[in-house]
Amino acid sequence: MKAFVYSIRNYFSKPQNVILVVLSVLLFFMTLLPLVSLVRETFIVHPAELPVIKGSKLNDFTLYHWKKVFADKSSSTIFYRPIKNSFIISIGSSATALITGGLLAWLITRTDMKYKRLVSSLIMLPYMMPSWTLALAWRNIFRNSYSGGSIGLFTALTGIEMPNWFCYGAFPIIIALGIHYAPFAYILIGSVLRNMDANLEEAAQLLHASRFKILTKVTFPITLPAILSTILLVFSSSFGSYAVIIFLGSATKYQVLTTQMFSKLNGTNPGVGYVMSVIMITIGVSILMFNQFITGTRKSYTTVTGKSGNISVLRLKKWRGMISWLVLIFVLLVAVVPLISFAVESITDVPGVYTLDNFTLRYWIGAAERNANNGEAGILRNPNVWSALWNTMKVSFIAAFIAGTIGVLCGYATAKAKGTKMATLLTNLAFFPYLMPSLAFGATYLAMLSKQYGPIPSFYGTIWMLVIAGSAKYLPFASRSGYNAMMQIGNSIEEAAVIMGVPWWKRMTKIIFPIQKSSFISGYLLPFISSMREYSLYALLCVPATRVLTTLLYAYNERGIDQYANAINLLIIIIVVLVNLIINKVTGASIDRGIGG
Amino acid sequence: MPEIILENVTKRFGKSIAVNNVNLEISDRSFISLLGPSGCGKTTILRMVAGLETPTSGNIYIDGKLVFSSEKGINVSPAKRGVGFLFQNYALWPHMTVYKNIAFGLENLKWSKRDIRARVDELLKMLKIEEYESRYPSELSGGQQQRVAIARTLATGSKILFLDEPLSNLDAKLRNDMRVELKRLHEETDSTFVYVTHDQLEAMTLSTKICLLNKGVLQQYASPLDIYNKPANTFVADFVGNPSTNLVDATVLDVDDDKIALEFCGNTLAFVPKDSEGRLQTGQKVILGVRPELISVSENGIMDGEIYSILPSGMETVLKIEAGDLLLTAVIFGSVDYKVHQKIKFSFITSRIVLFDKADGKKIAIGSIQNM
Repeated sequence: MKAFVYSIRNYFSKPQNVILVVLSVLLFFMTLLPLVSLVRETFIVHPAELPVIKGSKLNDFTLYHWKKVFADKSSSTIFYRPIKNSFIISIGSSATALITGGLLAWLITRTDMKYKRLVSSLIMLPYMMPSWTLALAWRNIFRNSYSGGSIGLFTALTGIEMPNWFCYGAFPIIIALGIHYAPFAYILIGSVLRNMDANLEEAAQLLHASRFKILTKVTFPITLPAILSTILLVFSSSFGSYAVIIFLGSATKYQVLTTQMFSKLNGTNPGVGYVMSVIMITIGVSILMFNQFITGTRKSYTTVTGKSGNISVLRLKKWRGMISWLVLIFVLLVAVVPLISFAVESITDVPGVYTLDNFTLRYWIGAAERNANNGEAGILRNPNVWSALWNTMKVSFIAAFIAGTIGVLCGYATAKAKGTKMATLLTNLAFFPYLMPSLAFGATYLAMLSKQYGPIPSFYGTIWMLVIAGSAKYLPFASRSGYNAMMQIGNSIEEAAVIMGVPWWKRMTKIIFPIQKSSFISGYLLPFISSMREYSLYALLCVPATRVLTTLLYAYNERGIDQYANAINLLIIIIVVLVNLIINKVTGASIDRGIGG
Repeated sequence: MPEIILENVTKRFGKSIAVNNVNLEISDRSFISLLGPSGCGKTTILRMVAGLETPTSGNIYIDGKLVFSSEKGINVSPAKRGVGFLFQNYALWPHMTVYKNIAFGLENLKWSKRDIRARVDELLKMLKIEEYESRYPSELSGGQQQRVAIARTLATGSKILFLDEPLSNLDAKLRNDMRVELKRLHEETDSTFVYVTHDQLEAMTLSTKICLLNKGVLQQYASPLDIYNKPANTFVADFVGNPSTNLVDATVLDVDDDKIALEFCGNTLAFVPKDSEGRLQTGQKVILGVRPELISVSENGIMDGEIYSILPSGMETVLKIEAGDLLLTAVIFGSVDYKVHQKIKFSFITSRIVLFDKADGKKIAIGSIQNM
């Protein structure tokens, strides 16, 4: 007994173990408990369902929802067809992201292409912008008049009207999502290509392998883990994406699982929505496990890095100019043209008419007296916009602070206790929110936090609802960059302070944090930026008083006031890019560190 | 006919010169070591000959064929130079099994499945790694990875093998075993080995000839014993040998026909040259190079000193002797018993004392030190 007490005390004498236990408990409540309550929701009767489920009382046990999803006359419309579409766009966008991001990474690290610096900084822009940016831009530029409404910039300039499949539905959704997530591929694959031991390729070269064979038999297999993690990230993000589909799918009623889920959660049958959430999470977890199964096997890739100073660069020779130009044009198209399109749309009075006399600044600075647009003032003097902006900043700042701090501690503890069961558990708990689709995550937090539990009050209608959900949702980025930062500094740095009797708190603030300042701050930056441009997660959690910029944008979009939607989108992008730029210049932190570069 | 010839090879990285006008002939079936401190350009030379690095200027011949010439614009690709290369960190492909790693080069040469199988089996056996055939590199210890890397390099049967510090990642015991193994492989494969190392003992024990480099400049290219006994300059004398050689400042007092009067640390002694390459003048500053084993402590020594410290290692004892303002190192065979601060007498024995010019550090003469 004494020995047991002693071993417990010994265990908790190490700060990393205290953190492990405390965080595991905390994260259990923040990530696993929502899942449990989510599963429960799939088996009970909700208020809105009382009329359809005959003879039922509130919170009764029922299998109605599961039957409705899998085996009902309407299953095909509400579930099977949408989930097929979800798979199509997720696979398509993963492929698009891999091809564009991977190709760019290869061109920049392994060829003598020009404009490398410019291209590598521009390619990050699509990820910094809200996910629907490209979707909105696509719609601005290519929209046609077939489904009613005004024509886009492209048709106005060229007179060519693009067919529906090109303007709406799977094709543009795949492009928009694929390019938005291409930076994942660029960062993950690029860092492997950059850090790969050049000797691995040289060894193959000396053994008579052709350039093509080196690429396919050596380089490609070594980047495979990076490719798989890209697929994991892009696939689960696309599968859970909602905003993009609204912009590019609603005109032709293109339905995926998330749109179905949203309408069910918000409508007459929330139980079905919860079932769909559970299905989405199951798919996410399966992909994660598949990924770990493939990369976690006997082929360890830890030996990959080495001297990389002398990687041979492929000379593009006569193609150099043309390829450089094509790449530059491509990144300008995806990074700069959308911004121009927002600016243009936000000053176009009558949509679809692109003439000088139709341009106006009243959607930016107009007064509220005018009759148009339900008496809304231009966004820069509109109190709704200012309060939403203030809410957005508050929520993002606090959520980033919480997520970032937990991330640093989590990274510290898991890196220190690497290999132990507790560390693995905490790592998985912290990554889990990534696999939860934002909408479903929002839905569970709504269900969980709207009730009062003893001393814990209901958070409904406060910004804390958004803050807590945001902190949990962005934890994966923060804990990952915290972990990477800790792995880069050896144990001995901290041990040198331990020997001198420096207390833990001081070690963290005076030694560890300053050394890896930029990596740790990246762990704060990424949640901040993600929260600034989050829609799906906050969509269900907002009430009018706690409205944020993105939900306001959607409100305007639903009311068809595109100028406001475009103007607010531009505002969000400017803020995000500015914040990122300032933090990057001041501290050296950057969002790619959080992704795993 | 010599296998590898380097003519005036220079390599610059930006402004810094990594290899400065090196001329080298490596004969067939020899075991050559490129030796020098880190950053002296030895790996760069190896990589240039293998074709992994492009020299800034110069010519390189392999087996009589010009494989690189800056003037003629010739640069034969690494694969066509017919050399094998063993990397310092092994560079095993992490996603291939041991078998696949070894077979890869043969597959590229379009060998038949059966021949590959036979050849790989032969190598697995030769390097005693048969049981690891289907393992991945991450599942092997450092020594086993090393053997796989050697097998992979040998597989295609190159007659020239480049080894870039292959033993530096192994522990001391394993390193000794692998040295023996490498020497055996050199005999068995009947090929030319070019070996890069910063470990002078490794170079001494393995090679037929050592090429000693410093700051990109070739210092001396000779057999290990010549490098040891007849160092071309003070750098070579100092770099080779453990414990390192004693370099003693001296001044020439008088030059005679067959002996030179030297003054150092308060003594006036005669240096009798056995073979000399330069002229000495009265008043010239010189350096004496005295190997630790050439100092003998005895009653009838001609110089006075005091024991500074004693480092016994069983087989031999290293003595630090204070003489004037000098601290000399002596190695005495067996265990001897001295006390710190004990007064002793010593002398320089044999005729292998080297005299260097202090101004440029070059060797002037070899001879013996005697009483005047």
